[in-house]
Amino acid sequence: MKPSSTATGTIIGLTLVFLIGPFIVIILAALTAGNNLAFPPDGLSLKWFIKVFTVESFRISFFISMFLAVFGTLTALIVGVPAAYAIARYDIPGAGAIQLAVSSPLIVPGIIVGLALLRYLVIPTGFTIMAALFLAHAALILPYAVRVVTSSLQNLRVDVEEAALILGCSRLGSFFRVVFPNIRGGILAAFILGFVTSFNQVPVSLFLSGPGVRTLPIDMLAYMETTYDPSVAALACLLAIMSVGIVFLAERFLGFSRYV
Amino acid sequence: MSDFVSVDKLTLAYGDTVAVPELSFGIGKGELIALLGPSGCGKTTTMRAIAGLMTPKSGTIRIDGRDVTRLPPSLREVGLVFQSYALFPHLTVFENVAFGLKMRKAPNIRERVMAGLESVGLRDFANRLTPDLSGGQQQRVSLARSLVVEPKVLLLDEPLSNLDARLRLEMQMVLKDIQKKTGVTMIFVTHDQSEALALADRIVLMKDGRIVQSGLAEEMYSAPRSRFAADFFGFENILPGRDGGLLAWRPTAIRLGDGPHEGTIRGMSFGGDYRTYVIDSALGEIKGSVRAGLPAFGEGEKVRFDLPEGEAVRLEAA
Repeated sequence: MKPSSTATGTIIGLTLVFLIGPFIVIILAALTAGNNLAFPPDGLSLKWFIKVFTVESFRISFFISMFLAVFGTLTALIVGVPAAYAIARYDIPGAGAIQLAVSSPLIVPGIIVGLALLRYLVIPTGFTIMAALFLAHAALILPYAVRVVTSSLQNLRVDVEEAALILGCSRLGSFFRVVFPNIRGGILAAFILGFVTSFNQVPVSLFLSGPGVRTLPIDMLAYMETTYDPSVAALACLLAIMSVGIVFLAERFLGFSRYV
Repeated sequence: MSDFVSVDKLTLAYGDTVAVPELSFGIGKGELIALLGPSGCGKTTTMRAIAGLMTPKSGTIRIDGRDVTRLPPSLREVGLVFQSYALFPHLTVFENVAFGLKMRKAPNIRERVMAGLESVGLRDFANRLTPDLSGGQQQRVSLARSLVVEPKVLLLDEPLSNLDARLRLEMQMVLKDIQKKTGVTMIFVTHDQSEALALADRIVLMKDGRIVQSGLAEEMYSAPRSRFAADFFGFENILPGRDGGLLAWRPTAIRLGDGPHEGTIRGMSFGGDYRTYVIDSALGEIKGSVRAGLPAFGEGEKVRFDLPEGEAVRLEAA
């Protein structure tokens, strides 16, 4: 082995250890038969995985997270697809500024977004926690939606739309008959990306969670503060498996990585 | 005004940049005409305006007596074969060709589509997806897609330029055949004079958004009136005559080996039937051709030549 490839091997090895290592530790810790979160596990059992489903607050927060992920992403797409279309097709004045504004949630730390929404939206206007969480998640997903859909629009030639116009379509008709079917893959990819992002979102949700309204990751944090048992590890495993599963299926059937 | 398509004082602009100022021309029913010119001459812009893909600043466009200037593309009864073919990538060949008929809720769609595919020789490709086809096949699908809706005017953007020599000849035959069978009025845009000559009944030569000269293909080829037209149609030697006017010769009209002038051979290009020499002389750079069978000149060799005035075309304008 040449020195350079030894170095490369070491870096790749360490990367894998740090990426996959925690995952393995958590899986093993969740499989413990003991009553404490410990590594290495104290015997093997599935009892903590079963426990997860009996915790009332997990069930509620799971549905809240699901709701936010699905409807937040749909909202982001309803706003984001026309925005992406406008950016990709028209010479709009200030398109650069719009694109920057749209990607700002990617740049601004979530803690600041969360704090700002709490201080200036929830407190003065009396927005419900749920409404604020919903808005925040939709806004956070929007940049992903715009970016992914824009790149798949750029692969569709403009003259294909013009051909539809000449053959008798209205502008709107050509969008639904020609543009939409050709960017469906990109929209689905944006949906999956948005869903996973929203579901795993912590910092913004942390500020906006209130009594009785928590997303699942926040609920897990709260649970750990009072009850230090391995069910949180088991839940973390289940969530990780869900995310990996979704992305795997998306890659398999959609070529997900083309869009992201 | 008996023109089937008439363009009257048409001004087209991109923002504040005028691409075509006050252009006027007319086309007879069933004519096949070429808008010819270098890139940026406004020919494609003009075609897009006729199709309705561009809104004119002023002027009118009439098709079959109807003012279509403000109509959306869908109501103009025109077809357009794009240079890139612009097929719908998510649809099959059949569905592509059926698209316009479906939009019009036409009867007998299946039969009409199959007849359209038959006419371009693609009957067996009906169920294929378009990205799987070759460029030539895609173009024929695009042509069938435009023709099945029986447009009054068929527009074609550089229809031959993406094809190799053999397919070019084939497509030329297909287009001439369509003209004969359907009598559709055709306008095509090209930057290539040989394409225009091969296909068009009449040529409209454009430069900077204006018509330089228009006329029958043969007339344009043999009697260009301006330096620009002469240059475009291959009169590569343009010199002032004795009376101060301009004379133009094709390289084949120059007589090499004998004559009153002398020059030095600087280079040669072999074009199959002819060898064309670039000669440095007191008159400037002269291009002269000699039949390939005749003895060749070497580079750097001194050669005498003649510019026979009988073979020259007299140009009216600079």
